[in-house]
Amino acid sequence: MGRDPAPATVVKPAAATGAQAAAAVLVATGVAWAAGERFVLLDLELSVRAGELLLISGHNGAGKTSLLSILRGAIAPARGQVTLAGVPLEDVAADYLANHIATLQHRPGLYFDLTGLENLALLSSLVNQPLTVTEASALLDRVGLPREAHQRRVRHYSRGMQQRTGLARVMASGAAVWLLDEPSTGLDPAGRETLSRVLRDAAAAGTAVLAISHDPELLALADRHLELRDGRLHEAA
Amino acid sequence: MTVARITWLLLKKDLRIAARSREMLGFTLLFAVLCVIVFAFGFLQEGAATAGYVPGVLWVTLLFSSSVSLLRLFAPEEEGGTLDLVSSTAAGTLPLFISKATMQLLFTGLVTVVVLPLVLLFFNTELKGFGQTAAALGLGLVGMATVGTLCSALLVHVRLREVLLPLVLYPTVAPLLISGVKVTSIALAEGEGTGDWLTLMLIFDLLFVVASPWLHGRALQR
Repeated sequence: MGRDPAPATVVKPAAATGAQAAAAVLVATGVAWAAGERFVLLDLELSVRAGELLLISGHNGAGKTSLLSILRGAIAPARGQVTLAGVPLEDVAADYLANHIATLQHRPGLYFDLTGLENLALLSSLVNQPLTVTEASALLDRVGLPREAHQRRVRHYSRGMQQRTGLARVMASGAAVWLLDEPSTGLDPAGRETLSRVLRDAAAAGTAVLAISHDPELLALADRHLELRDGRLHEAA
Repeated sequence: MTVARITWLLLKKDLRIAARSREMLGFTLLFAVLCVIVFAFGFLQEGAATAGYVPGVLWVTLLFSSSVSLLRLFAPEEEGGTLDLVSSTAAGTLPLFISKATMQLLFTGLVTVVVLPLVLLFFNTELKGFGQTAAALGLGLVGMATVGTLCSALLVHVRLREVLLPLVLYPTVAPLLISGVKVTSIALAEGEGTGDWLTLMLIFDLLFVVASPWLHGRALQR
């Protein structure tokens, strides 16, 4: 899942080198973030290692999605720092970040008026991982999207099919870090099984996977399970 | 990948989406035609629309209808949550800006092709000074598309953007609008002296074409 050359100004993530399998790729140190007047995250510490499947859970409003936004560099923390392979996110070029951190959020990151295949072809090209039609089709097969849906517009997909296609987009990115927000949303049992398999394979291939989820199947699969509570991460019971 | 390659990928995607959904062009055209009809009835004098209003009606209709398409310009990205993905390419945000501004220019260009003959027909006016009018329309549409794309991008996550877009866009393009109306008036009257107005439009176009992508890039920075 690793990819090649980084811009000269930034450091290549450990996962991409393959040299340090257990090295922390993404590290948050003393991160604090406030929603309005209220601090949601307080001096939060987190490290995600290459080849690790890390799950974070927490009650509604605990700040899980905000944490994910901070980790992917979409919002800056009020205090603290996030580093990608030792380099602060604010010093990492936007395209480099996009090439090395793939995200799946509440919206699937797809164009609704393009087909599943067209979406994968376009979005993989933008992160310098262009796919052929055969490769894109194989990826959609892997996430269990029915063949007849490959050439249908995403607008006509069910929520679960959109989620599967979004997952295929993340797989196509070749990123060293995956940040997934409730990836099993909308998936049927077969879909959740596929998701588990994909995440396990990705972690085995050296990808650092961080997922926010309450799905028991994923919790059972995780290398580590943390709970976000009172603005900090705790080892889950 | 180069700026040109990424821009082409994004533009091709937008053209494909526009061809499939047809909503943006359809609604914009419908709105423009309705505008012309309303203006034509609004300016009736002794049973006929007055020709002197043609430049104003033409430009105001183009400005209003361009706002309609601008409000939907980033809709495909918003709907599926792809804005982050297409604004962090190896070539930065420039390909996204160019592709969106080109789409807007294509839409308003098509609207102009429909609206211009319609205005002339409703206001019973003969098109004179075609070259000057075409030059003014070309410069006006380029300026409105570039600065309009910037406004649309800046307001993409803003709750009251339907209200705010005209409030930001109309004063900014006022110099283009005033100059465009002047050039069209002079051209229809077969007069002279459009050069200064066209030069003014060119100056504003250059300013908008240079500043808008830069500001767009700054606004989309993490």
